[in-house]
Amino acid sequence: MAAGVAAWLPFARAAAIGWMPVASTPMPPPPREKRRGQDGLIILNVSGSRFQTWRNTLERYPDTLLGSTERDFFFHEESNEYFFDRDPDIFRHILNFYRTGKLHYPRHECISAYDEELAFFGIIPEIIGDCCYEEYKDRRRENTERIQDDEENENSKDMVPPDMSFRETMWRAFENPHTSTMALVFYYVTGFFIAVSVMANVVETVPCRSEQNRAKEVSCGERYSVAFFCLDTACVMIFTVEYLLRLIAAPSRYKFVKSVMSIIDVVAIMPYYIGLVMSDNEDVSGAFVTLRVFRVFRIFKFSRHSAGLRILGYTLKSCASELGFLLFSLTMAIIIFATVMFYAEKGSTSSKFTSIPAAFWYTIVTMTTLGYGDMVPKTIMGKIFGSICSLSGVLVIALPVPVIVSNFSRIYHQSQRAEKRRAQKASKQAGQALVCKTNPTFETQHHHLLHCLEKTTNHEFVDEQTYETSCMEVSLAKASMSRSSSMSSSPHGLSSCCTRRNKRKSFNVPNSNMVAGRRGSIQELSTIQIRERPVNNSRSSLNAKFEETVPLNSEEQSYITAAVISMPTPPVTTPESGALGNCPDFLQSNIVRVSAL
Amino acid sequence: MGVVLGTFSMHTKQVNYRTDKVDDELEMTMVSHRPEGLEQLEAQTNFTKQELQVLYRGFKNECPSGVVNEETFKHIYAQFFPHGDASTYAHYLFNAFDTGNNGSIKFEDFVMGLSTLLRGTVRDKLEWTFHLYDINRDGFINREEMTEIVRAIYDMMGKYTYPALKGDVAKQHVDTFFEKMDKNKDGVVTLEEFVIACQEDENMMRSMQLFENVM
Repeated sequence: MAAGVAAWLPFARAAAIGWMPVASTPMPPPPREKRRGQDGLIILNVSGSRFQTWRNTLERYPDTLLGSTERDFFFHEESNEYFFDRDPDIFRHILNFYRTGKLHYPRHECISAYDEELAFFGIIPEIIGDCCYEEYKDRRRENTERIQDDEENENSKDMVPPDMSFRETMWRAFENPHTSTMALVFYYVTGFFIAVSVMANVVETVPCRSEQNRAKEVSCGERYSVAFFCLDTACVMIFTVEYLLRLIAAPSRYKFVKSVMSIIDVVAIMPYYIGLVMSDNEDVSGAFVTLRVFRVFRIFKFSRHSAGLRILGYTLKSCASELGFLLFSLTMAIIIFATVMFYAEKGSTSSKFTSIPAAFWYTIVTMTTLGYGDMVPKTIMGKIFGSICSLSGVLVIALPVPVIVSNFSRIYHQSQRAEKRRAQKASKQAGQALVCKTNPTFETQHHHLLHCLEKTTNHEFVDEQTYETSCMEVSLAKASMSRSSSMSSSPHGLSSCCTRRNKRKSFNVPNSNMVAGRRGSIQELSTIQIRERPVNNSRSSLNAKFEETVPLNSEEQSYITAAVISMPTPPVTTPESGALGNCPDFLQSNIVRVSAL
Repeated sequence: MGVVLGTFSMHTKQVNYRTDKVDDELEMTMVSHRPEGLEQLEAQTNFTKQELQVLYRGFKNECPSGVVNEETFKHIYAQFFPHGDASTYAHYLFNAFDTGNNGSIKFEDFVMGLSTLLRGTVRDKLEWTFHLYDINRDGFINREEMTEIVRAIYDMMGKYTYPALKGDVAKQHVDTFFEKMDKNKDGVVTLEEFVIACQEDENMMRSMQLFENVM
């Protein structure tokens, strides 16, 4: 609940006089209020800057340093003020939190300094308001990452745990080439051989003048086939050895085999071995040639050496849906125009547009404004549609691409932010539930107000489960009655009691046929009310304080509304403990789920 | 060439974006109201200066503009009753506080109402309650008005109550109320009947004194 609303509680209580004539039962006595000292000003001297505020303002949050008796440790007798040797600029924000109930994070402040001040004054950062929470979390994450990176760099350079096994050393050498000279050498050697292998694959296909000066030109690969074969063998040797070494050194072999890099390695060296095995068989030589294409995958091995390549791959992967949509819209346009062009050119003689798939090629070439010219329309209608095709090609391709690029960057950042927010929300609610302890006097008075409402209406607040158990009991009783007597009375009772059962709750009822056909509705506010006998063995310190300020209520049952108290109420056994055996878990889980007041 | 220039010039004439509309709207929301002086309010109500100060600080915190409109009022009141729907009752309360019937409660209205409720005589409180129930301000409480009020109170309880709310629970309450209050059985309750009947009820008198020391 906002701190300011607490100031309106007297008004709400006064307005309760409006219920009195309607009530038929007497009201519960009001809680006796502790006569506190008169609300005075407190002077807070923070490194010379004097802040002043009301005592009540600070005591809104009794769980923090300033709101509790902990501040007495900082009381300075001579000047009759509280002195804190801390940063006054950041303190301004902390004091604003007490005043407005919202904690803000100033962007110009250093995140670690801010965190330290919050920790000193006992304020949990999870209650930072929505306006500043994202910025705070971003800065904090950057900071921790930077610290972690620094630590890792230091660790990897200096600290070598002496008892690392040979296997672990090898793995570390593979992953971080900078750890030792041997690893660096290995890193550069493999990089060199990848480059050599790729260059050999490329040069292999270049036509060389044959030595016999014949008219027929052969590719270099065929001319120097032995040399290329030796080169290829050497490269594959190196790659194989590297792969086997990585496989041995990997901490989790199964995970290593599944990883992308290892698949690329396998694909890069497999063609050679397959070629070795099957080189004598003429039938599969065609397939063998195809396999050589896969040797180009060796270039992807560079992604171990280049972080940028990895980022690009990840980028494409995350942008896949946008690219897919572009492809889909292009396909639609291509099919439409190809069909139109085919039918437009059907009439002309010697037309290249022999079928719609044949027209696909024309459409693609025209829409991407390539315009090879190998297929051109000859009829007038064909030319008209061809020009429409090329104009719309500009629109269809040129427009969405920048949109997709910016879309991708926006969506990428947004999804990062959305995931962050989702992760933060859970911890934020948990933090808020733990931290926003409100004034106990406020709590007792609010309980008394709700108690008066109950007395006025002769009904009590209960939680969902108790409500449903009571509904079930009523319906069971009525059903058993109705079985013996007529059904006239039961439908009304059943329908009014249980029509609004929450569909999401799974409820084990022995007579499940009775609950068939109920409408369910989703309950927005879910709150709990726990009826608590004054048992002293399971109370937190706050409840103990509650008891001492409300001595009159000890004879009656005192009600604690978990929706209002956003503090973790200790799980207490309710009177209907038989039906609510799982109540404590329900309570604990519901604390976080409580409506945010 | 001339055609090109011509089309260009024609275009530029119409570029005339209106950006000043936004500023007008901003000014409308900056209405604020300052209450009368502290001495005047102290004279008109039964509160001391310190109490008025505390009240005003709380009031101003939630309503910086100095007036409460019905939406804000309902929102504030609903925070105290998270279980159910307090908006109907808050609406009637708002009308009871808004003695000037101008759709907003100024601090003076607020403090006058509170003064009656907390520091007024028993008769004052009963009159205030009567005016709360008398929705159409005709001087009589009839069955429909009472049913509305009782239903609004029950709405605040929400769904999950023990025993579970039945459909005709409001009617029973209203019947009890009218039996007690309507002395001449003419179907409506006048102010005098209300006051006399309430003063006869011991419980109610005691309940009225309950909130004396709320401030």
